[in-house]
Amino acid sequence: MREHQGPAPEQAFDVAVIGGGVNGTGVARDLSLRGLKVILFERNDLAFGASGNSSGMIHGGVRYLTSNPRVTEQSCRDSGYIQQIAPHLLFRIPFLFPVKSGLKGRIAIELIDAFFRAYDQFQPLKRGEPHTRLSPSELAVLEPGLTGSLVGGITFDEWGVDGARLCVLNAVDAKERGATIHVHTAVEAVERSEDDDGRGRPGQNVGSYVVRARDLLTDRAVLARARVVVNATGAWGPITAALGNLPAARVRVRPGKGIHVAFDRRLSNYGIVCEAIDGRQIFVMPWQNMTVIGTTDDDYFGDLNDVTATSEEVRYLVQGVARVFPAIREARAIGTWAGVRPTLYEFGRNEDALSREHLVVDHAHDGAPGIYSMIGGKLASYRIFAQEMSDRIAQDLAPSSVCTTHEKPLPGGDRVPDALALSEQSGVTPVAARRLVYRHGSRSARILARLAKSPRERAIVCACEPVLEAEVRHALASEMARSVEDVARRTRLGLGACGGMRCAARCGQIVAEELGLPPSHGAKMARAFLVRHARSRIVAMGPEQARQEALAFAAMRATLGTREDEP
Amino acid sequence: MTRVLVVGAGIAGTAAALAASAAGASVTLLDGGPGASVLAGGALDLLPWEDATGSQDDAALADPAVAGVLRELAELVHVTPTPAVLVTQAGILRPARAAAVGLLDLAPLSAGLVLVPRAEHPGWDAAACARAWNDTALARARGLEFAAIDATLTRLTDERFLAHADLAARYDEPAQFSWLADRIKQAVARYAGSRVVAVVAPPWLGVEHARARATELSHAVGVPCGEPLLGPGGPAGLRFERARDRALGRREVVVVAARAKEVARDGDAWAVTLEGGDALQADRVVLSTGGLVGGGLTYAPSASVLAGELPPRARPSFASTVEAPVAIGTGRRPIGIPGSLFGESPESLAWPFAPFAPLLERAGVLASSSGHVDAGLYAAGDVVADRPRTWLDALAQGARAGATAARAT
Ligand SMILES: Cc1cc2nc3c(=O)[nH]c(=O)nc-3n(C[C@H](O)[C@H](O)[C@H](O)COP(=O)(O)OP(=O)(O)OC[C@H]3O[C@@H](n4cnc5c(N)ncnc54)[C@H](O)[C@@H]3O)c2cc1C
Ligand SMILES: Cc1cc2nc3c(=O)[nH]c(=O)nc-3n(C[C@H](O)[C@H](O)[C@H](O)COP(=O)(O)OP(=O)(O)OC[C@H]3O[C@@H](n4cnc5c(N)ncnc54)[C@H](O)[C@@H]3O)c2cc1C
Repeated sequence: MREHQGPAPEQAFDVAVIGGGVNGTGVARDLSLRGLKVILFERNDLAFGASGNSSGMIHGGVRYLTSNPRVTEQSCRDSGYIQQIAPHLLFRIPFLFPVKSGLKGRIAIELIDAFFRAYDQFQPLKRGEPHTRLSPSELAVLEPGLTGSLVGGITFDEWGVDGARLCVLNAVDAKERGATIHVHTAVEAVERSEDDDGRGRPGQNVGSYVVRARDLLTDRAVLARARVVVNATGAWGPITAALGNLPAARVRVRPGKGIHVAFDRRLSNYGIVCEAIDGRQIFVMPWQNMTVIGTTDDDYFGDLNDVTATSEEVRYLVQGVARVFPAIREARAIGTWAGVRPTLYEFGRNEDALSREHLVVDHAHDGAPGIYSMIGGKLASYRIFAQEMSDRIAQDLAPSSVCTTHEKPLPGGDRVPDALALSEQSGVTPVAARRLVYRHGSRSARILARLAKSPRERAIVCACEPVLEAEVRHALASEMARSVEDVARRTRLGLGACGGMRCAARCGQIVAEELGLPPSHGAKMARAFLVRHARSRIVAMGPEQARQEALAFAAMRATLGTREDEP
Repeated sequence: MTRVLVVGAGIAGTAAALAASAAGASVTLLDGGPGASVLAGGALDLLPWEDATGSQDDAALADPAVAGVLRELAELVHVTPTPAVLVTQAGILRPARAAAVGLLDLAPLSAGLVLVPRAEHPGWDAAACARAWNDTALARARGLEFAAIDATLTRLTDERFLAHADLAARYDEPAQFSWLADRIKQAVARYAGSRVVAVVAPPWLGVEHARARATELSHAVGVPCGEPLLGPGGPAGLRFERARDRALGRREVVVVAARAKEVARDGDAWAVTLEGGDALQADRVVLSTGGLVGGGLTYAPSASVLAGELPPRARPSFASTVEAPVAIGTGRRPIGIPGSLFGESPESLAWPFAPFAPLLERAGVLASSSGHVDAGLYAAGDVVADRPRTWLDALAQGARAGATAARAT
């Protein structure tokens, strides 16, 4: 396939990164910017794990406000950096925090008010608005859909992000700066190199390792030699450690499964903080062009490569949200997603509160110098986590280098073009242009430039999002997508109300064409995509979506078939 | 004269109305708007094509009432002795028991070249389709090779923004159509030396007179010409509606554009209340309201499934849009257990993930195999439980139910 023709030669790298989530891609980018030679392996697709299945929020560390305000400050500042390097990818989500009336509520609102007053001093770091306190009638004006008797509420500001795109942009940038990136390639073993050349001088924390991986789509083996290996596999962390014969217990994470349900439109312009029946905080929020409710947190010990929401979990969220925002019951759920958080176990004494969020484990202590595990973390703090990891590696491999990830824009992040102007120049609809700019920033121009060469690519493949054929081809040619599913992760194709009924087959054809695969392979990918996503939608199905499911299934059966036509 | 009221004007209801009328009844048909028959693309099966191994069982088509309905719908469908083979725009070749007018049937073709003219329309990528069709076992087995060829089939820029169905309607105009036919003919003429056996044209071959248009084109070009099977949004639905309306008109069936709200026994007869409040009387009622797609069955999650604290009462997870004394179920058993906290869990409903057939495909009105539900009450088509959910099966059931309803005393 694209990345590899012929038997894979064994190549030498400075650093091998395992895992294409936000931490793995973040570290690969940081090290590439410092001039190191990096190879990254991702078993599934970039952002396949927690990073592509999170709530998609860049918080400012508000949780540490009372215990350790320095952490809050650092988080807010880092959130500001992410905005600076990818301004197109972040969007403001104003939140309402309604407080129930009653004695408890009257006290609570004072506490919450004071709390957010303290948070306000950090908001400018991430360009956030200061909080406001609202009376019940002001709340009702902002969001008439709120019910129950309320003493009032608080507003606060957060930023939304498309986590999958954040990973893709980090990976693309790393690649453009010389990194080698293998998606759908699972690391199967990390071995100490037989001919350890002792390049690591005394005092240096490096080794010589052979990373054995397999391209799961072609079944081809990939070998790489590296002096440093970074395990950035999130919830898979312990499993990955075992592949390197390291004690899995050293990278213990609590696998906390969280799900989200997506609804077909923006039901409110505000995020709303709600309480689930067990008292946990959950939320409903506008996110891109839909509404999302989340999230749960349950121990998960199933297959990490196949995590899906259940109807029980959906019910838990819908019930909780309906207590303050009953419109959710009538809304049309169009999908769910599920991810597993790599939450740190509380072990040992921590230097500061942020290390409760993430931690670098140095496996030199396990007799494997040069192997590190990155565990925990958040989308919001990926950059600083990657910097910490990279600083550590750079001490040995690039001592004079400095981190530049807070100032060098991610691909497309140098400038946010005017969508309307782009639409007028290129003739694509303003909505399509707007969505394109959201995902690609200044690189939208590159995608639209394709239209001059091949006007056909103006065709809208997915009408729900919408997604142009040019963008699908761009995702395949320049963003490392290798399947219909991968294209969906990068463009949100097929994730709207129609569930891919109108676009999956066409997308499969394009994937096959761009990657030089047989067309029947494209059809197979389209089927796999349709079935996988139907499975994630059905657990949240209401009457309207049931009709759509029946239609989508009938259409698939009629025109694509539900089974392979060849053995 | 027996008064037969047919509820739902999909293919099952249409067949029931035509057959009842042929059997001498006075027939009223309630048309509640488009359903599955209008959304389907024109591939007509008795069994889902993937399950139809080898020869299909044509016994259902031999029934005189069924054969009669097929004759009355001849402008729409022509069931040949051998099954059809169709190309789909999604990129495969598939068998079908029959093809609706407009679609290209590859079954009678001998080995050779099938040309696919390009067109400047975002919904038509001739090259991608040709490549995909070539990469199928059926194409290889039949020695068919597809090739995209250059052609200019659009004139006005607005045509690039029109849906296929609207473009097809535009080509009902004979002058317009002869322009298109000419263009296709010219494009194909360049391949005079090759063994061209057919042409796959864009799905624009008219709506009102698709049969005539397809014939005209095939004559002009000299080989069979037709369209591929599309997903929802093609002209097949409009063609069905036109053919249906003409056949019903010839039979003088009274068509009422309304949805039934309640079907209730009224002495020996039936009273059917419409959504506007009007009521109709009939001796027999045929329910042909379709499945989930037609809106005849609605999935109604019990309150507990989607929200609410504790449900006041459990509801069956399927409801019929018609309040009639019928049971919704599968495998002869009603579904939804009154008194249980949770209805059917959504996981068990839809799409073929589980080894068992999903409820969404099977749930429906419990009826005997001939469509008998209760004295004087019949059901046909997708609304019936445990049927294959195919077009010809719906037609056959409708025809039998209609004929039986008209005759039974
Ligand atoms: C429900 C939920 C909501 C969240 N909400 C937020 C939020 O709003 N804001 C926020 O900041 N954070 C949020 N988070 C946390 C955040 O998403 C994660 O902490 C972060 O994405 C972790 O990134 P990662 O790169 O470490 O792991 P992952 O993104 O899980 O990446 C690990 C990758 O490693 C790959 N891998 C595994 N084994 C191998 C192997 N053998 N070889 C190669 N590759 C392998 C996997 O395929 C996977 O892609 C949320 C998390 C969850 C689950
Ligand atoms: C996308 C798609 C592709 C398909 N492909 C194929 C295929 O390749 N081969 C094949 O054989 N079959 C196919 N089918 C299936 C086939 O179309 C159906 O099985 C068949 O059309 C069912 O006909 P019906 O008359 O029972 O239902 P419908 O056509 O759904 O008709 C029911 C009608 O009843 C009306 N109605 C509902 N409630 C009321 C009420 N209360 N009062 C009045 N009217 C009411 C509805 O509006 C609707 O018009 C496909 C279906 C779809 C949706």
